[in-house]
Amino acid sequence: MSQEIKIVIQKIDEYRYLVPRSFREGMRIEGLIYANDELIKAIERDQTLMQVANVATLPGLVGRSLAMPDAHQGYGFAIGGVAAADIQKGVVSAGGVGFDINCGVRLLRSDLSLEQVKPKLDPLLNQMFRDIPCGTGRKGIVGGLSYDELDRVLENGAHWAVRNGYGSDEDLRHIEETGRIPNADANKVSKRAKERGRDQLGTLGSGNHFAEVQYVAEVFDEEAGRVFGLSPQQIVILIHTGSRGLGHQVCTDYLDIMQEAMRRYNITIVDRQLACVPIQSPEGQSYLGAMAAAANFAFANRQMITHWTREAFTRVLGKGELKIVYDVCHNIAKEETHRVEGSSRRVLVHRKGATRAFPKHRPELPSDYADVGQPVLIPGSMGTCSYVLVGTEQAMEETFGSSCHGAGRSKSRHAAKKEISADQLVHQLQQKGIHVRGASKSGLTEENPDAYKDVSLVVEVVHNAGIAKKVAKLLPIGVIKG
Amino acid sequence: MIAAGLWVANSLGMKNTTMNDGYRILEHPSDIGIEAYGQSLKEVFEYAALGLVSIIVDPASIDPVEQRYVTLKGSDPENLLVRWLSEILYFYDGQDFLPSDIVIERLTKTELKAVVMGEPVDERKHSFKMDVKAITYHQLKVEEGKEGCLVRVFLDI
Repeated sequence: MSQEIKIVIQKIDEYRYLVPRSFREGMRIEGLIYANDELIKAIERDQTLMQVANVATLPGLVGRSLAMPDAHQGYGFAIGGVAAADIQKGVVSAGGVGFDINCGVRLLRSDLSLEQVKPKLDPLLNQMFRDIPCGTGRKGIVGGLSYDELDRVLENGAHWAVRNGYGSDEDLRHIEETGRIPNADANKVSKRAKERGRDQLGTLGSGNHFAEVQYVAEVFDEEAGRVFGLSPQQIVILIHTGSRGLGHQVCTDYLDIMQEAMRRYNITIVDRQLACVPIQSPEGQSYLGAMAAAANFAFANRQMITHWTREAFTRVLGKGELKIVYDVCHNIAKEETHRVEGSSRRVLVHRKGATRAFPKHRPELPSDYADVGQPVLIPGSMGTCSYVLVGTEQAMEETFGSSCHGAGRSKSRHAAKKEISADQLVHQLQQKGIHVRGASKSGLTEENPDAYKDVSLVVEVVHNAGIAKKVAKLLPIGVIKG
Repeated sequence: MIAAGLWVANSLGMKNTTMNDGYRILEHPSDIGIEAYGQSLKEVFEYAALGLVSIIVDPASIDPVEQRYVTLKGSDPENLLVRWLSEILYFYDGQDFLPSDIVIERLTKTELKAVVMGEPVDERKHSFKMDVKAITYHQLKVEEGKEGCLVRVFLDI
């Protein structure tokens, strides 16, 4: 990493920057970054550009190594990175999915308005905070799940949760992959990963994970808003969490396995965190089986948290139905068909901090969304706004049907904490009408909204570049924080 | 080469992190790292592990009541360091066991043998700070010199 970095990216238009193959030695494809003048400055400040270029050195990639406008420095891959590998000749990289496999977001819509919920907001948040296990070291309510049962979770995801009373079949239609990635193989998940995950099912976790009570502040696209069931002043809930310790350990295990196996396949890499193996190799197939299992764990996790949120709603408000608008993965590798250089190709799309953004008429969409496209859920930082977007044809042409995933951090947790005390932050948010319940004071201040890029700027770039279109803007009134 | 002036007090409100503690916590825009230093790699690997524990929980709240043994192999010192710290993380996240004292009995470029003392997690007794997801290879460094040794490792949190 010590070689001299020549910053020679080329501005293509207002929202696109090309990272040419001359940027670093060994790049097999070009890089492309979605940003405006302001966001590109943030991207240039850390190692994001070099990481986009490093990814471009991996064998068997097609198209370009992409970075979304919320991109920031990650491990191996930049967070906000997208790369597609030819299914026959390409590689799969555990680091290209990341440690929190199927970290994702789910949006629930209620049939209640802001005015109806506001008077009971505090009891509602208290109830949610009691019912949803969150914060460091907290165990799930399904503590001590047997290993056999855990295997069923890993192979069936949200379907397992529904079968066990956490929601209904109706929920499954509105989850990416219906909440169960096929070909999940629980036998490819180590005992150690299962030990880490066994009592974490049904927990929110800490860090940037949250559950927020929000309302629809603005609808930009009435047709899509109507189809997604969103209208102004309506109360919605946004849940952000992933596969917990189980997914983290799957990634840790396979980074090791891939590093070892790479030698046999004569693959050399520029950053150890980019360890990869041919997709069709036994190690590649094992990883994909384990990754799918971890992703299913995350789907089940979000399904259980949904169930407890519904219970809290009913208990406190005495009414109100919460339906799933959609649930998207933002750390995942998916086998998909895309057009590459004019022909249709099977590829493995790595989305590391990026969201699938498929347009209308794709077979992967639920039938009721077929004529508008897939909802793309973009959470903002704590106390700021979030967005619902919809996938576009342009995303299929340019980004393997992908878009951004959030605001993207701009400051370290330490810097975020130094700027404000937890009490000040809670007070500030309260003044904006946002009530907060947090498991720890330091957890709160680390998520100080000032530590993030402006999510509206990120969404503007995505919208104007055409790789997803704005549907609605959501504002928070209550935050549950790990 | 270790310059004393480099070792500043850390950021996480840990108890009295000074030069003598043998590690400091590093900041990264999205995550957190540990830099450990000492006279031997053995010492430095021990400090790195204590640094990791101190990020998760207040180490002063853990007593050495039980003993665990660790034997590990790695392909090289960097890989061995990641495996070692992953083992410590697994004690906490997979076995609900918090290390308080660590003695590395044997360390080569590819092998490690250690005794880890500590106690089972007790939510009433231990004050947790944050979850650590994993140990990464990002800017990983293992350096052994005449004047001392140093390791640097970043964590995904």
